[in-house]
Amino acid sequence: MVEYLIIPVIKLIVIFSVFLFIAAYTTYMERKVLGHMQMRYGPMRVGFHGLLQPIADGIKNLFKEDLIPENADKTVFVLAPAISITAAVILLAVIPLGPPITIFGRTINLYIANPSIGILFILGFSTLGAYGNILGGWSSGNKYGYMGGLRGSAMIISYEISMAFAVVSIIMITGSFSLVDMVHAQTGLWNVFKQPVAFLVFLISGIAELNRTPFDMPEAESELCCGYNVEYSSMKFALFFLAEYIHMVVFASLVTTLFFGGWHGPAFLPGVVWFFIKVFAVIFLCIWVRATFPRLRYDKVMKLEWKFLLPVALLNILATGMVMAVL
Amino acid sequence: MEQALILICGIIAIATAIMVILSRNTVHSAMWMVGNCFIIAVLFLLLRFQFIAILQIIVYAGAIMMFIIYAIMMLNLRLSDDSADIVKNLLNGRYLLLALLFIGIVILGVGFGPMALKGTMTDQAMIKFGEVELLANYIFSEGLLPFELVSVLLTAAIVGAIYLAKKN
Repeated sequence: MVEYLIIPVIKLIVIFSVFLFIAAYTTYMERKVLGHMQMRYGPMRVGFHGLLQPIADGIKNLFKEDLIPENADKTVFVLAPAISITAAVILLAVIPLGPPITIFGRTINLYIANPSIGILFILGFSTLGAYGNILGGWSSGNKYGYMGGLRGSAMIISYEISMAFAVVSIIMITGSFSLVDMVHAQTGLWNVFKQPVAFLVFLISGIAELNRTPFDMPEAESELCCGYNVEYSSMKFALFFLAEYIHMVVFASLVTTLFFGGWHGPAFLPGVVWFFIKVFAVIFLCIWVRATFPRLRYDKVMKLEWKFLLPVALLNILATGMVMAVL
Repeated sequence: MEQALILICGIIAIATAIMVILSRNTVHSAMWMVGNCFIIAVLFLLLRFQFIAILQIIVYAGAIMMFIIYAIMMLNLRLSDDSADIVKNLLNGRYLLLALLFIGIVILGVGFGPMALKGTMTDQAMIKFGEVELLANYIFSEGLLPFELVSVLLTAAIVGAIYLAKKN
C-alpha cells in the first residue's frame, strides 16, 4: 500500500509543484538576466527586486477576459493549450533528479518512473507538444497564427531528426535507453567530454525545438506579431507560456542528464543540489543565447538543419561506431 | 482485467478510426488519427511491447501525422462539399456488402487466431532478454531478408513519389 500508492503520489505532487515553481521563476530569471544584459534592471516593483513578479503575472492572467474569436474552430482552439501543457508536464515523469535517498528508513528513488525506454519516451512526447502550437495557430482563424503554426511544424519535423541522432550516439556509448543508466555510465567522465559534437548538435537543435530566439520562427514578433498564440488570452495563453517554460526546464534537465553527468558532482553537496545547479546553468545559457543572437531568416534555419546539423550528427554516429568497434 | 482493458482500447481504436472517415474537417480527421495511433500504442503496451509502443508514438503519432497535418495546412484544404453524405454513402448497398465481407474476414481471423504461441516472443523470454535486444536479434538475424526488402520497397516508393511530383 505504502510502496505502491502513497509514496508515488507524494512524489508526483512534490515533483510537479517543484517544477511548476521552477518554470514560473524561470520567467523571472529570464526577464532579470535579459534586463541586466541590456543594462536595465528588469522587474523591480513587486516585492524585493521584483521577486513576486511571476505570482503577480499569474493572478493577472486569471482575471483577464477569456476570448474565443468568431471564426475559430472552437473545440480545437480549447484543446490546443491543453495538449501543449500535457505533453510538457508528462516529460517530468522520467527525469532522474538525484541518487536514491533514505527517509524514515525507506529508500526513495528520486524519479517517478524509470522505464527501459526513458529517452525514447522523452523524444516521443516532446514532439507531441508541437501539436499544441500547430493546432492552436490553425484553429484561431488568423493568418498570422496560421503562418506561425505552419513554420512551427516545419521546424519541429526538421530539428527533431538531428536531436534524435545526437541522442543515438549517447545511447551507443551507454548501451541503454534508460536515463538512470545514462547517469550511472557517467560516473567517471561526463559525456560532454566523450561526445562534444553530439552535445553541440543536441544543444542547437534543442534550442530550435524550444522555439527560442535565434530560431523563434513560429512566434516571430516582428513578422507574425506573436505567431500561433496571437488570438489566445487569459489562462489559455498562460498555459502555452507555462508549457514553453516547462519544456525549457525539461530540456535543461535533459542536457544535464545526457551530457553533464546528471546528479554527479563533488561530495560536499547532495546530488539533487548538483542536479539543479547544472539545470540552472543550462537555463542561463539559453537566456544568454537569446540575448546575444538575432533571429535567423527562415530559409537559413532550414539550411542549418538539413545541410549542416544532420550530416554532422550522422558522421558523429559513424565515428562513434568506428571507435567503439576498434576499442 | 488485462483482457477487459484490451477490449476497451480496441473499441476506442475502432471508434476513432471511424471518426477519421466521418468527420467533415480534414484537420479533425487528422486529429482523430493521432488519437487512433495513441490507442494502438496503448494496445502495444498492454501486450508488454514497451519499445514498439513508444515507436508507434514517435513514428506515427509524432512524425508521420505531423507531416500529414503539415501537408493539410500547406495545401489549405477546407471543407469538401461531397463529404456531407459520407454517412449516406456508407449505407449504400455496395459498401454494406464490403462491410459484411470485412466482418466475415474478422470472424475468420479471430476464429483461427489465438493458437499456441510460436517462436521466441514469449513473456518469459522478454523478461529474460529485455525486449529491445530480443527484437533487434530477431530483425537482424532471422528477419533480415524481409527487413531489407521492406527498405528497398520504401526507397522505390520515395523514387516513385518524386517522379509523380516532378511531372507537374
